[in-house]
Amino acid sequence: MKLPLRDGLSLLRRYVRPHARWVVALAFLVLVTIALRLVNPQILRQFIDTATAGGARAALIRNALLFFGVAVLAQVLSVAATYVGETVAWSATNALRLDLLRHALSLDPTFHKEHTPGQLIERIDGDVATLSNFFSRFVIDILGNTLLVAGIVGLLFREDWRIGLPILGFVVFTVWLLGFIRARAVPHWTTWRKLVAEFFGFLGERLAGTEDLRANGAVAYTMRRFFELCRGLYPVRRRSALAGYAMWMSNVALFTGGYVVAFGVGATLWRAGAITLGTVYLVFHYTELLRGPISTMREQITDLQRAEAGIRRIRTMLATTSALFDGGSKHLSDGALSVALDGVTFAYAPAQTADAGASGDATPLAEPTVALRDVHLAVPAGSVMGLLGRTGSGKTTAARLVARLYDCQEGAVRVGGVGVADVPLRELRRRVRMVSQDVQLFRASVRENVRLFDPAVSDARILAALDELGLQEWVCALHQGLDTVVGTPEAGLSAGQGQLLALARAFLADPGVVILDEASSRLDPATERLLEHAIDRLLEGRTAIVIAHRLSTVRRADRIAILEDGCVVEAGDRAALAGDPSSRLARLLVTGMEEVLA
Amino acid sequence: MTALRALLHLIRYRPWLYAMDAVAWTAIVLTELGTGYVAKLFFDWLTGDAAAGFTLTSVIALVAAAGLARVIAILVGALIDIRHRYSIEVLLRRNLLAAVLAKPGARALPGAVGEALNAVRDDVQTVEDLLSWLIDQFSFVPYSLAALAILLAIDARVTLIVVLPLILVLIGARAVSKSVRRFREAHRESTERVTGAIGEAMDGVQAIQLAGAEEHVVAHIEALNRIRLRAAVRDRLLSQSFHSFFWNATTLCTGLILLAAAEGLRGSTFTVGDFALFVTYVGFLTEIIAAFGDFLIHFQQTKVSIDRMATLVQGSRGDVVAHHPVHLTGPLPEPPPLCAGPALERLAIETMTVAAAGSGGFRVRRASFEIRRGEFVVITGRIGSGKTTLLRGLLGLLPIEEGRIVWNGEPVADPSTFFVPPRAAYTPQVPQLFSETLRDNLRLGREVPDEALDKAIELAVLEDDIVRLEHGLDTVVGPRGVKLSGGQRQRAATARMFVSRPELVVLDDVSSALDVETEKALWDRAFAERQRTWLVVSHRRAALRRADRILVMKDGCIEASGRLDEVLQESEEMRRLWSAESDDSERDAHHVPPFPIDFTASGV
Repeated sequence: MKLPLRDGLSLLRRYVRPHARWVVALAFLVLVTIALRLVNPQILRQFIDTATAGGARAALIRNALLFFGVAVLAQVLSVAATYVGETVAWSATNALRLDLLRHALSLDPTFHKEHTPGQLIERIDGDVATLSNFFSRFVIDILGNTLLVAGIVGLLFREDWRIGLPILGFVVFTVWLLGFIRARAVPHWTTWRKLVAEFFGFLGERLAGTEDLRANGAVAYTMRRFFELCRGLYPVRRRSALAGYAMWMSNVALFTGGYVVAFGVGATLWRAGAITLGTVYLVFHYTELLRGPISTMREQITDLQRAEAGIRRIRTMLATTSALFDGGSKHLSDGALSVALDGVTFAYAPAQTADAGASGDATPLAEPTVALRDVHLAVPAGSVMGLLGRTGSGKTTAARLVARLYDCQEGAVRVGGVGVADVPLRELRRRVRMVSQDVQLFRASVRENVRLFDPAVSDARILAALDELGLQEWVCALHQGLDTVVGTPEAGLSAGQGQLLALARAFLADPGVVILDEASSRLDPATERLLEHAIDRLLEGRTAIVIAHRLSTVRRADRIAILEDGCVVEAGDRAALAGDPSSRLARLLVTGMEEVLA
Repeated sequence: MTALRALLHLIRYRPWLYAMDAVAWTAIVLTELGTGYVAKLFFDWLTGDAAAGFTLTSVIALVAAAGLARVIAILVGALIDIRHRYSIEVLLRRNLLAAVLAKPGARALPGAVGEALNAVRDDVQTVEDLLSWLIDQFSFVPYSLAALAILLAIDARVTLIVVLPLILVLIGARAVSKSVRRFREAHRESTERVTGAIGEAMDGVQAIQLAGAEEHVVAHIEALNRIRLRAAVRDRLLSQSFHSFFWNATTLCTGLILLAAAEGLRGSTFTVGDFALFVTYVGFLTEIIAAFGDFLIHFQQTKVSIDRMATLVQGSRGDVVAHHPVHLTGPLPEPPPLCAGPALERLAIETMTVAAAGSGGFRVRRASFEIRRGEFVVITGRIGSGKTTLLRGLLGLLPIEEGRIVWNGEPVADPSTFFVPPRAAYTPQVPQLFSETLRDNLRLGREVPDEALDKAIELAVLEDDIVRLEHGLDTVVGPRGVKLSGGQRQRAATARMFVSRPELVVLDDVSSALDVETEKALWDRAFAERQRTWLVVSHRRAALRRADRILVMKDGCIEASGRLDEVLQESEEMRRLWSAESDDSERDAHHVPPFPIDFTASGV
């Protein structure tokens, strides 16, 4: 049988090593517990032999008390083993969780586009939990049970090989037969789980789409489909449940055979005078003791095999590397930085899985489409560049390249005269701050959302930043000020208010370059006014690239570039372009923004 | 209805099946008595205390007979139990699904879809398990009584010494079960915090990377992880010690038997066979008590589960357990035939007030308007002015707080069941597609002839897209339709709406997903269908120009209504909205819109 032992153990070794002492303690506790469980029937035998021989009363009481004491001690130790085992398993796997999280956070957008947050939660938490089960199962159940069974068989051999041998035969046969039946049951269970997953997929979608179902008069049809599915599932369900019962029934039948063996051997040897009555009882008792471990051992081994898939996924994820090589050693100067795109050509890598795009990104699923073609843009330090163009024209892509979310295939992107790949990623991201239009809020206070969990940022600094941006009043109006928890549906922050928080985030970082993707949705006038003011303040004394969705932003720009199908079709000084009636900008200003954005 | 009554009501759903289930499981449990008694006979035979004529062969025959009886009882019990469980499972799921589908669409679920799915999956399972385990508890009663009678007959003193502590343990179990639940809850909450935070971090990975906040986020989650570790260890420790104490109590009880029976064994008034019987039976009795302890804990969880399901259906516990057919056999229910009824002549909305989904305030206040057969009515207004809420109120997807709806002079009692095809059909702003083929998405289970499907596709301007799709209409669109573009999803949903050939077509704003050209084509084709009546939300000029009537919404009220020239004249809001639109039909560099924006004045 193939077990994921090597993979699992090598992964665990790294994370369990810091807790080596506890692991030793755990092993010790498990071993002692097993020994105590093996010793107790021996005390029982002595008790029966003493009693039937009419031995001293005091000796009997002593024996009984000893038995009782050992039972209690085994109890306490097994609870202690649980405590140690759980603590080690959780400490070790939490460390692994954090490493996986750190790793996932370091991967480039291509990876994240192909993996939904749900999948990654499953990877970082779910699969690691399987590993944790693997650990406790392996140490406590499988090793422990195997040792217990081996101990029982060994002790019976010590009594008499004529007892040991038949019982050994019984154990081997039982383990084999239960495994055999289980192997036949597993496909039924797998089929059932697969069909059930599909069934809940159906239900989940219907629950999410009630409005659509009702408005299209499909409710009765949905119920009919539901009954149809339930009826179709029933035979599969019965087969898979019966397969489970088959395990139980064969277990009962096998142990009936076990008792026959124990009684037959015990009676024969006793009549031959080879063993005492106490020993006959010992054989009977040990046979009963075998029941638990043998019937669960197979199950646990199957569970282990299931862990294999999880372990493989964890290793695959750890082996995935970011497409962005972070090996730069040049530095950026303080203050506003110039930005330049020199002959930049870029295409998104084709998405590989069907769930790409679920992140809401506009990247198409098809073969690599060139998003930018030989783009030249220059933004002098301290000036504002307005980027205009239809959806899919490449504005956002250009902005992403400046923040180095991707590396371009041809040409060069420079910030402050330095190629973005030549600067350590962390430094680049500190000096170049991109504010995207779909703002991610965390289920945490306004404070944490603004400082992004950086404990070094004090309330005073946050309030100062909010004040600068003209947002202090807005924050004070929230019912708990900085402590107001946002990021939940109940908090009900609008898209515009989310952008306000994102601007505050960027302002705190004091970057040299700001890349702003304006909210394209219509905002209520009050929020719009706040946003305008905050953006004005944020852009002061900084270089900015603004993906404009509003006329007021175009007004703010020193320079304008219009993109179409990944090419710059017009670029230049805003005032000059606006004054030239044949320019696209002038036309745009006349017909309105809607056309460019359609 | 209390949770207990709800469970009893469930039992009454298939009373005979449940009774048979109980009989079968009692038989399974009683066979255990036989197995234990055989061991006593064996040892009695060894020590010469057995009845005359008893041989090793008879012992072995009895062991085999007891085993066989048990296997047969398990098989019968299994077949009954599987059937009963499944009936209950389908009934509960049916009740949940039907209740959710019967709610006003925009308020069908009280929480997230994930929560609803958990209820449908796990809470149903919990209740179903409880009914099954309850049978075990029933069957334990005759078993315990029989076992006690046998033990008392053998040695009353030893029986009392051993059984009394067992009863104390039983009482202890009740006390501890509560704190087990509390710790379990704390563990679950801390886990949700961690997975929630991981999900947010993965969702917002770009924001985190752009802000260079990776380490801070990791530290934040590390803190949550530490809380979870403590909660998890505490939970496991308590439940494990609780559990292992009960399940290993046999050994402790054996010690008690030894102490109590020492004298009897020495004086041969208590045989080794009696001892074996005591150990076996008392062992079973402790397991019963352990199972009862687990059952009590499970019962607490079941109460929570029933309440969660009641929350999901936004009703009472009685709604959750109501009796309905589950159609496991026989013909499936046929959906009621579509009754067209009299054609729409005149639809009037009178002083309708609707509260917005989720928030407390009213989003539509005292709206009144009228639509006549064949009219094309456009609702326009800014974001948040109440356009969608108005549609949802009309269609019964949100409850109406005040006012009424009149169809051909008859007041509509329940809009949510009235405004369905073929009277009316609706496409929301963000339509939901299902992860099946495009064809199944358009049909939604309805019988649709091919011509009708083609016609609907054409009306929705989807025909070119279908040609380009890999498998045409049979393309599987993936979860939420992700394999289609936003515009394709929108138009697929529009086609789905046309499939039912509604009298009244209600269409929420499509412009966020459609480009100007496509939207124009959509209106062109819609306009050719004058036998229908149209109520659409749009701010595009192509739609506004054609409208027989425009309803201008502002802050939840209809500010103006009339033809384009009328509302432009009448309403400042309308002039503002109109000027913000480009004019796609007359796109021209030299064209001057009726109300140009003064860029020079604003500094450009």
